[in-house]
Amino acid sequence: MPMPAAATEIDAFPVRVSPERPAATGATVRPERPARPAPDAPCAHCGLPVGHAMIAGSAQTDGSNGDSDASGGQTDRWFCCTGCAVVYDALASAGLGEYHRLRALDPDAARPARTVRLSDAVAELDTARFLADETAPGPAGTRRVTLALDGVHCAACVWLVERLPHDVAGVREARLDLARGRVAITFAPAEVRLSDVARRLARFGYEARPLRRDASGARPAAERRLLVRMGAAWALAGNAMLLAFALYSGLDVAVDNGLADAGLAHGARLVSGVLATISMFVAGPEFFRRAWASVRHAVAARSIARLHMDTPIALGVLGGYAYSVWAALTGRGDVWFDSLLVLMAALLTARFLQLRARRLAGDASERLLALVPTMARRVGADGAVDVVEAALLAAGDCVEVRPGEVVPVDGIVASGASHLDRSVLTGESQPDEAAPGAHVEAGTTNLTHRIVVRVEACGEATRVGRLLAHVRDGRPSSAATVLLADRIAGVFVAGVIALAVLAAVLWAPHGADVAARVVVAVLVIACPCALGMATPLAFAVAAGRAARAGLFVKQEDAFERLAGADVVVFDKTGTLTEGRPSVVSVVGRSGLDDTAARDALRLAAALDRDSLHPVATALVAACADAAVSLDTAAPLDGASTDGLSIMDARIEAICDTPGAGRSGIVEGHRVVVGRPSWAMAQATAPDAALAAAAEALAADGLTPVLVVVDGEAVAAIGVGDALRADAAALVARLRREGRRPYLLSGDHPAVAARVGAALGIDADSIEGGASPEHKRATIARLAETGTVVMIGDGVNDAAAMQAAHVGVAVGGGAAASQVAADVFAVRPGLAPVVALFDGSRAVVQTVRRGLAVSLAYNLLGALAAVAGLVTPLVAAVAMPVSSLAVVALALSQRSFRAADRRRPRATAAGRP
Amino acid sequence: MAVLYALVPVALLLAGGGVLAFRWAVRSGQYDDVTTPGVRVLLDDIAPADAPSTPV
Repeated sequence: MPMPAAATEIDAFPVRVSPERPAATGATVRPERPARPAPDAPCAHCGLPVGHAMIAGSAQTDGSNGDSDASGGQTDRWFCCTGCAVVYDALASAGLGEYHRLRALDPDAARPARTVRLSDAVAELDTARFLADETAPGPAGTRRVTLALDGVHCAACVWLVERLPHDVAGVREARLDLARGRVAITFAPAEVRLSDVARRLARFGYEARPLRRDASGARPAAERRLLVRMGAAWALAGNAMLLAFALYSGLDVAVDNGLADAGLAHGARLVSGVLATISMFVAGPEFFRRAWASVRHAVAARSIARLHMDTPIALGVLGGYAYSVWAALTGRGDVWFDSLLVLMAALLTARFLQLRARRLAGDASERLLALVPTMARRVGADGAVDVVEAALLAAGDCVEVRPGEVVPVDGIVASGASHLDRSVLTGESQPDEAAPGAHVEAGTTNLTHRIVVRVEACGEATRVGRLLAHVRDGRPSSAATVLLADRIAGVFVAGVIALAVLAAVLWAPHGADVAARVVVAVLVIACPCALGMATPLAFAVAAGRAARAGLFVKQEDAFERLAGADVVVFDKTGTLTEGRPSVVSVVGRSGLDDTAARDALRLAAALDRDSLHPVATALVAACADAAVSLDTAAPLDGASTDGLSIMDARIEAICDTPGAGRSGIVEGHRVVVGRPSWAMAQATAPDAALAAAAEALAADGLTPVLVVVDGEAVAAIGVGDALRADAAALVARLRREGRRPYLLSGDHPAVAARVGAALGIDADSIEGGASPEHKRATIARLAETGTVVMIGDGVNDAAAMQAAHVGVAVGGGAAASQVAADVFAVRPGLAPVVALFDGSRAVVQTVRRGLAVSLAYNLLGALAAVAGLVTPLVAAVAMPVSSLAVVALALSQRSFRAADRRRPRATAAGRP
Repeated sequence: MAVLYALVPVALLLAGGGVLAFRWAVRSGQYDDVTTPGVRVLLDDIAPADAPSTPV
């Protein structure tokens, strides 16, 4: 594409001022500002690096917060963002400086607590329905409610939240569950409204939301039951071990030789038997149930491969138990009760940890179900607006949607014209215009102006509602997943039985007693205790670490499939690209150097700084990233700048022309920003080269914007969806590993082809213009030949994700895709995806190592048993040792370690 | 050593009592959240005197 010769394309914005620009005339005298700190100095509130776009705040220090200056008066504090500054102020004004003392105790937990703009969902908290359904009665007329609370991360947050009873009249108690992000509040409905409580929490940066129940009631109960069983199993095992200790220390000899203590020996054996019998009913069912089911399955299918790992466990336990009971009753032979009890307790522990790890992911996905707002503003016939529940709306009602809010219903625009962000449904980053008569859908965001929508469908009847319901109901049940360990279960059982028969045959000449003893020894020591623990433990540890890194894995087989993925399908918008309009290129007028073009960008951004139009936000974002500032008279030298930020620039006479652009006076310069044709008409001297450049940008799929300063056309800016910086690296890495990257996008085929080529994806693996149904069909087709992983972020990807073997939802995406996915990330970007692939490979390696170690132990043990070397004492020692080895392997796995680092390292160039 | 015939059953009864206590604790939700109580230890109690109850 031919570009005007001297035009410069800029993609980095270091801080500099153009030497030929004169000082702004009529500038007011600004107060002496103290020197700014370096960009990697910590933010006074959250502790993260302040970056270049640092905000100044001043706090009246009273000495309680430490570092006041010598005079004890005003100190300037620096924050990384407005959010932190506001929260800091709120804390200071409420006299809650204690917060920072507590926060300092755990610096690694630092994460910014931004002020939260509460959606109207909080109004739902006051409705009678909510009070009746979601709250429980408490003592003396109070109600108890549990809310999801986002943004809590350390001791200081616990302190702050649990202070509610002291700070808010009417709240009796507040208990925060830090790990799960839930707060249990006991309050008196007559004295305080829940929405007010939520608003207070929002001032400090915690977003309170009603908990959407998604079968979450059943889970904790099952977990508790398993925990009780586990505790009982260990109590029984411990006591049996005490008795066995006595037997190993010499008491068992008394049995065989009829010595004086024979009575005690018998007693010890019998009591162990009683304990074991109790445990059979407490801990046993966990294994026997599944083992029996898998045996029936295998018999029906006539295939030994159908056996679950619980089958050899059940075999060993039952065989050992039966023989030991006979031995205890008759006084002949050995009892193996203690080894069996420890085995069952250890396996229950592994199961419990696995269940708890799964709960982490389940918790996180519950909070995402609030895709469509539950409250809506209904406009009555008389124009009065009241907030009602969206489900109560009827077709024909009118609802008002303000800029920045999510549309709650499907309908037609009755009045007002605005732009809508449809990315939730279509994945398109370009906003759509909505004029009266246009169709709008629930889940889209209204961007610029207030509109009134006539309702056509609401609740589950909306397109988004139907999609969500489809995702919820079409979810394949967690049917028996065939894990690595389970695949060898059949072979294992066969092997154990074969060895037992072998032992019986070898030892038969020595007598039935001896032979029976050896056979039982084989069964018990070959019992796959460690084998049964290897996978659940590895998964539990990995899932916990991944969760801390912001990656939630719902099922353990996701790790295996990711490690063995053949095809990795990417959505384009939001996954490979940033998903929101950003400045892609800046073309300056020929004859001007880079700096003047950058100045034009800054002026345009300053003019547009409070507009919600996506192009405007792109301009502002481009400047914030690069720490630009308007000029002063003094030339700069890079690091420190005394200039004003675009937020502080003096702006006058703003004039908006809908559909064309905006003009105004910025620091004395007349600036026009907008569509090239309209803006060029406002310039005194039209610049053909720039106009051509603008058209070139448009042909490239970008939105062109022209900036005219003081009558001269100065720059053409292309706004579009920028590729993520790490996308190309990820694609290259996948190819290196032998996987096939595939690009499946709903965007225009030409754009998809261009993006795919830029990333290095083969032309036959790129498809554009794909509807959600087509995406699903493509994935189903690919799935026939290999394991397919689908990575996406929009509601339109949800169906495709279910068709894939593993669905990965990247952060910042639509909630529906995160609910449908098997793995979802809460942090935006592709870095979590990279961490996911790395981590999966490490987990699979760990599982394989664990299986290898336990198989080796079982094999050696079984051979030793056949040779007659294994006594109950040997088994009692060997089994815990092997289990500990597997536990150590699981804990030392290298997965998700790097992603666990919470404090990002500040680089010299600014915030990462 | 005949005393063991009495002691072992007593010990088992005590252990049984422990298991029942554990069961009660789990079912009353005390094991649902094991991280936050560890954090609460760090917090000072708010003396009743300086705990003004102001409306939001």
